[in-house]
Parts: sequence; C-alpha cells; structure tokens
Amino acid sequence: MMNEIMTSQPSWLNVLKFTGLGVALILVVILFVTYAILAERKVMAFMQMRPGPNRIGGKLGILQTLADVLKLLLKENITPKSADKLLFLVAPVIAFAPAFMVMAVIPFSENVTFANLNVGVLYYVGISGLSIIGIVAAGWASNNKYSLLGGMRAAAQMISYEIPLVLSLLGVILLTGSMNLNDIIKAQDNVWYIFTQPIAFVIFFIAAIAELNRGPFDLVEAESELVGGFSTEYTGFRWAIFMLAEYFYLFAMSSLITVLFLGGWQPVMFLGFIPGSVWFALKFLFVVFLFLWIRFTFPRIRADQLMELGWKVLLPLALANVFITAIIKEIFFR
Amino acid sequence: MIRTEEMLLNVGPQHPSTHGVFRLVVKMDGERIIEATPVVGYLHRGTEKIAEDLLYTQIIPYTDRMDYLSAMTNNYVYCHAVETLMGLEVPEKAEFLRVISMELNRIASHLVWWGTNLLDLGAFTPFLYAFREREMILNFLNELSGSRLNYSYMRIGGVKWDAPPGWIEKVQDFIPYMRKQLAGYHDFVTGNEIFLNRVQGIGKYTAEDAFNFSLSGANLRCTGASYDVRKDDPYSIYNRFEFKIPVGENGDAFDRYMVRMKEIEESINIIEQACEQFPKEGSILGKVPKVIKPPAGETFVRIESPRGEIGCYIKSEGKTKPYRVKFRRPSFHNLQILPKLLVGESMSNLVAILGGIDIVLGEVDG
Amino acid sequence: MLGLAKGLKYTLKNFTKEIVTYDYPEKSVPLPDRFRGIQKFYPERCIVCNQCANICPTQCIHLTGKKDPDPSKKGKVIESYNINFELCILCDFCTEVCPTEAVVMTNNFENSAYTRDDLYKDLTWLDNNNENIREENKG
Repeated sequence: MMNEIMTSQPSWLNVLKFTGLGVALILVVILFVTYAILAERKVMAFMQMRPGPNRIGGKLGILQTLADVLKLLLKENITPKSADKLLFLVAPVIAFAPAFMVMAVIPFSENVTFANLNVGVLYYVGISGLSIIGIVAAGWASNNKYSLLGGMRAAAQMISYEIPLVLSLLGVILLTGSMNLNDIIKAQDNVWYIFTQPIAFVIFFIAAIAELNRGPFDLVEAESELVGGFSTEYTGFRWAIFMLAEYFYLFAMSSLITVLFLGGWQPVMFLGFIPGSVWFALKFLFVVFLFLWIRFTFPRIRADQLMELGWKVLLPLALANVFITAIIKEIFFR
Repeated sequence: MIRTEEMLLNVGPQHPSTHGVFRLVVKMDGERIIEATPVVGYLHRGTEKIAEDLLYTQIIPYTDRMDYLSAMTNNYVYCHAVETLMGLEVPEKAEFLRVISMELNRIASHLVWWGTNLLDLGAFTPFLYAFREREMILNFLNELSGSRLNYSYMRIGGVKWDAPPGWIEKVQDFIPYMRKQLAGYHDFVTGNEIFLNRVQGIGKYTAEDAFNFSLSGANLRCTGASYDVRKDDPYSIYNRFEFKIPVGENGDAFDRYMVRMKEIEESINIIEQACEQFPKEGSILGKVPKVIKPPAGETFVRIESPRGEIGCYIKSEGKTKPYRVKFRRPSFHNLQILPKLLVGESMSNLVAILGGIDIVLGEVDG
Repeated sequence: MLGLAKGLKYTLKNFTKEIVTYDYPEKSVPLPDRFRGIQKFYPERCIVCNQCANICPTQCIHLTGKKDPDPSKKGKVIESYNINFELCILCDFCTEVCPTEAVVMTNNFENSAYTRDDLYKDLTWLDNNNENIREENKG
C-alpha cells in the first residue's frame, strides 16, 4: 500500500493518508512507550525484589505512566533566567523529531513498512545521529554547568560509538548485498545474522546501548555525577519530550536489532503458522528486556573508558569483522 | 593557541552523591578537577556543646545522632568513657550484648556503604540487595533495643535490655544466610569488569599519607597498614575472639572496597563466636550509683567504629554534668584527604572517591 | 566478560524471587514489643515526681500537679501532662525512670500532622492512646 501512495500523483488525499498513517504509528509507539516505562519499572522492581508501581490501576500499576504524564503536563514550565530562550525551547524538538523519523524504514511485518527505502540502514544511522544535536543544544542552552558537561559528554560519546556502530553493520550489509531492510530480513530466511555475524551483533548491541544513553552508558544524564546532565533544567512537558525521545529510540533500536540480527518477522523454523508480526513482537520484546536487564545490573562506565572502549576495542574489532566477512564471502559465496 | 576556561562548579549541598549535605567547591578545566575545597557544617548541631548542659545519661541519645548509621558504636564509646572515668565494672553478659550489637551494626553500616557507593557508580540494584540484608539486621536491633536506627541501647555500666528469648538463636541463623549473600555480592559486583575499571587505581595514597592525614578505619587499612583498635588496644571483650584485620595493598578505592567487604566477614565471625559463648545467666547492668557523678578528672577512650577510630574525651569536675565532651569523629578526619585525592581527577572519579571514603555527614559536622 | 555474565545471572536469579518489601500503608510493619513509639500516660498512677521531665534530654515533657482532692491522702495528683512531639526523640528515658510505670511506650509511630499544634499532645490525648501498649517496660 505504501508503495502505491509513494508512486501515485501528489494530491490532498495522499497528504491526508500520510498524516493518518503517521498518527497511527505515533499512537502505536506512544502506547509502547507508556508500557515500556511501566515494564522498565516493573522489571527493575522484580529484579530488586520489590513490587514496583502498584497504586494506580490495580496491583500491576496499569495507569501509572498515564498519571506520570498527566503530572508532567500540569507542571509549570520553567525557563532559567539566563538561558538561551530560543534554543532551550527548540532543543527538545530537535532531539525528538529524528526519533520518530527513523521509524519510517523499519519493516514491522511482511506488509507493514512505511518506507521501503533502498538505503534503509544508512537512513536510520544518519537520521538517528541528529538527535545528539538536540541534546548538546539543550546542555548549552540551559546555562547550567552540569547540563553543559552532560552535553559535552553526549558529543564526545557520540563520536566514539557511532563509528563502530556503522562499521559493525557493514558485515551484515556485505552478506546481504543490500541496504534495504526488507532485503536484509529476506536474506535471513535460513540463518539469522546473529549466528553468522556474532561479533557484529555484540558490537552493535554495545554501541546501541551507548546510542540510547541507557545504563551502563548513561553518562549524559548520570544522575549521581551530573545530577541529570542535559535535562537538569528541563521541567514539565519539555522534559517529557526528552524522555519520549529516549523511549522512541528504544523502540526504534530494538526494532532495528530485531530486523538486522534476529530475522525480523521471520518465524523460527517450523512455527511458520504464527503470523510474522507476532514473531516480530516477540523478538522485539526480548531485545527490550535485554536492554532493561543490562541497565539494572551494571554500574555506569566512565566517560574516558567509554571512548577507550569505542576506539581501541570496538573499532578494530568491527574493522576485523568487515575484513573477515569480505574474505569469507569472496572465497565461499562467490 | 587554544585556551580553555576554568569553571567553578558547586557540588552539593544538594547533590545526589554527597551523602547528605556536604558541599564541594570544585574548580574544573573541562571535566578535570584542578582544585577542590570541601565545605562542611551544614548539619552542625553542636552535640558537644549541648552535652555540657546535660546529665551524663541524657547524652546517650545525642551520640546516636552523630554517626546515625552505627549508633551502637557511638553509644559504646561514650558509655565506655564514662565507665572508665568512674571505674565501673560492666557485667560479662552486658559486654557480650554490646559486642554482638556493635558488630551487627558494623555489618549494617557497611551494607549501606556498599549500596550507596555502587549507587554513586551508577548501579541501582545492589543498593536494594544491601538493604534487604540490612533490614534483617535492623529488625534484630529493633527487637533488642526498640528502635531501628537511634538505638540508645547502652547505659552507663551496662545495657538497657537483656536479649529477648530466642534472639541469640535468630542471630545465629542469620550468620550462614549472610555469608551466602556476601558470596552473592562478590559474584554480582566484585568481579564486574566495569566496576573494577571504575575503582581500581582511583584515589590512591600511601600509608604515610594516610597517617599524616590521620585517617583511620578502612581508609587507613587499604594502604597495608594494619591498625585496628579492636586488636591494637582491645576494649570490651574483643580479646576473647579470633578475627583477622583485613588489609589492602595499593591504597586505591578497590582496596577500600575489599577491606570493607572482608570486614563484614570478620564481623560475622565475631558474632558467631560471641553467640556461642553467650552467657545464659548474669545481670546486664553493673553496680551503678543512682546519680551518675564521675570524680573530677579527664579521660580519653577510643574504639573502632565502622568508619574508623572514634574517640571520646570527657573532662569532669565532679558534677552531674560534664565540663567538656569531645568526640574524635572519624568521618571528619577521613575527609581531610579528599582535596588532595581529587586533584587531576574527573567528575566521575569524584563520586567514586567520595563514596569510597565513606562519610556520614552527621558525624562530619558533629 | 565473565564478571559481567555472573552479574547478569545474579539479577536474573532474583527476578523470579519473592518480593521482600513491606506492603506498608495497607499492612502495618511487624514491630517487636520493645518498639519505642508514642507514649501512653496513666494519670491515676502518676505521683508527680517530676523524674520524667528531669531526665528528658530534649525537655519536651511539661507537667503540673495539684494537691490530692481526697483530704485523707497525702501527695499530689497530676493536673496537666504535655509531651511536645516536635522535640520528643522517643529515647525511652521517661518510661525508664518512672517509678510507677505511669508513662509507658506504645508501638504507635505514625505521628505526622498538618500543623505543629497537633504535635503537642496533652494529658487527655496521651491517656486515650490505648492501642499497642508495650507489655514489658523495664529492662
């Protein structure tokens, strides 16, 4: 359906269709975010042997996140007196917009892809790098020293993980011979790339945690060091937008990992009767759980150690992976 | 020529990692610390001055509130000082109860340190595991003294309550459980490579430095200097028990961590032995006069608190109220080395070093 | 990497374990008998000896007595007895020195109030504080 719309003549109807689809997707993702936050808190609570949110919406705290969002909406929006007002206002938007843009290329099942781009992987990586600008801008515009340190850390961190992230993808791209995410899924018909590209998977996963600014790589916020990093001065809904962006990225990144390494909507062996979207959801949830699990287990890594890890360990490994993959492909799969 | 500008960063008094209301004025070049100046006194309540206007018994609850994580040792050092001044004999059973409660309190205090130090390093989960075990210890001490934190359990010449029926057995059952949990802690955190990278080689100093800055407790023992008042100047009945003094080698944050973890083990050993030898009969309060009026004179006693050597000086003029009470508060002395350790470190190391020193602000500010 | 894997195993093991926290506002926290909570006062037992007010480290107890209305009896009876819970640190000294166990501890500890005046407990309030009274009061 998407291809039809994309190739048809521009018309007002198409604008409406695009908007409708966009709103539908954003609602799905917001629904995910609502329950991802709840799940995060519940998983954290269970790992720490406590019940977690259990006040609003019964024992499971179903409505907890809604209450939190409501609270944030009702809160006063404070702009620091000496802040760069315009940038302070725009920064959350800059951080948030790319988080939603990257969703367009991800194939959620055989039929549901919003944009079947030939350069899907490149698009994702390129666009997702943009939201760092929002974070750096927020750190600068707040006119708070902790925020500034957070923003600077974000920039330094981004440089060191983004390169291994892209290079680790090259292995997958080499094996598929395409940057189209649908083609990558189709190429995993028999074997998932997690088995043929294990090193790439590990590198990508570590870099992905860093990209998501989640523990143990949450240096940008680092509440015990920088009090809240770039978001120290943000209140109310502006702060909520930052959080929303973070969880949108969690959604997008988990989807991307599912697509690239876990075979997307491809079923496991003989269980093909279960629809692809269910398979996608299951794998996706597993990846999300991995992110949460790692976050609650490890202490925060230090900024210089993250850069060391990025440049001295992940980058050479990723390069070696690319070479080995290329050689193997050249020799055996020609 | 590229030049960077120094900036002045105010860490605290409401910073999440300063463990209370501690303030640190840090001069930074980027993320590198050039100079750090601690500012203390936000929690100063003037315990020593208030004590001059109180009866000897009335001071006991005030000592609880100095180092609120190990109120038992504070109670003890004060009562011990008054007993020394008056030449009072403390019954054996009371001494056993004191030792068991102090060592339980030491474990509880180290557990809080373990949890909060890892919280500073960015791991939230260990904090709650530590509090799970601490809760059990607090329940023991609650059953014994009637309070969870500010015990006021000890009295001049003995203790307030005898152990409730079955209490010693419960503590004995807790010992193997705690050993198992401690092994779990080592699995969970001590081997973790991220944790090791964060603490190894951080905040290093030599034994000489430690002595010069008059550090005590784990902060001194991490350098390899074996000094523990329990062994070197035994008080109470500590000479009856077998225990080791764990020492480190390098004097870095990791050694401080390991020393404290091993101290928990040794405390468990002491509790185990004390529970075995616990006398069934006997009184819990010695022959104490109705009005406590120590003879004129002065005394200084010291004991080993979880944070180091805590001392109590009392000068009496033969009245019902002391002329002067002074506490040597280990957290305050341990904090002195902080400005030296912080120079050249980054913001992340600041919290690791500060957390490793293990301060309690109630004690620092007095 | 081994250490990281061990840590992950440890948290996963605890994931399925039972919850250890108290369900506090719904269920009260189990407290031992010795727990030091808000005092209960028995006016009929009090002999107005003033010992509790004297031993109190924070001087939060104020009491006045009057002559016994029964002329055949000597001594005093209590007229007013106030404990200021802004100051009280529940140290147990007042119950310890009381020769007639007229003031005893209870296991009640919920003491939050909207105004400071509510924390100023008088004789009637303390007399009516009848729940969870501590059984054993002398060590």
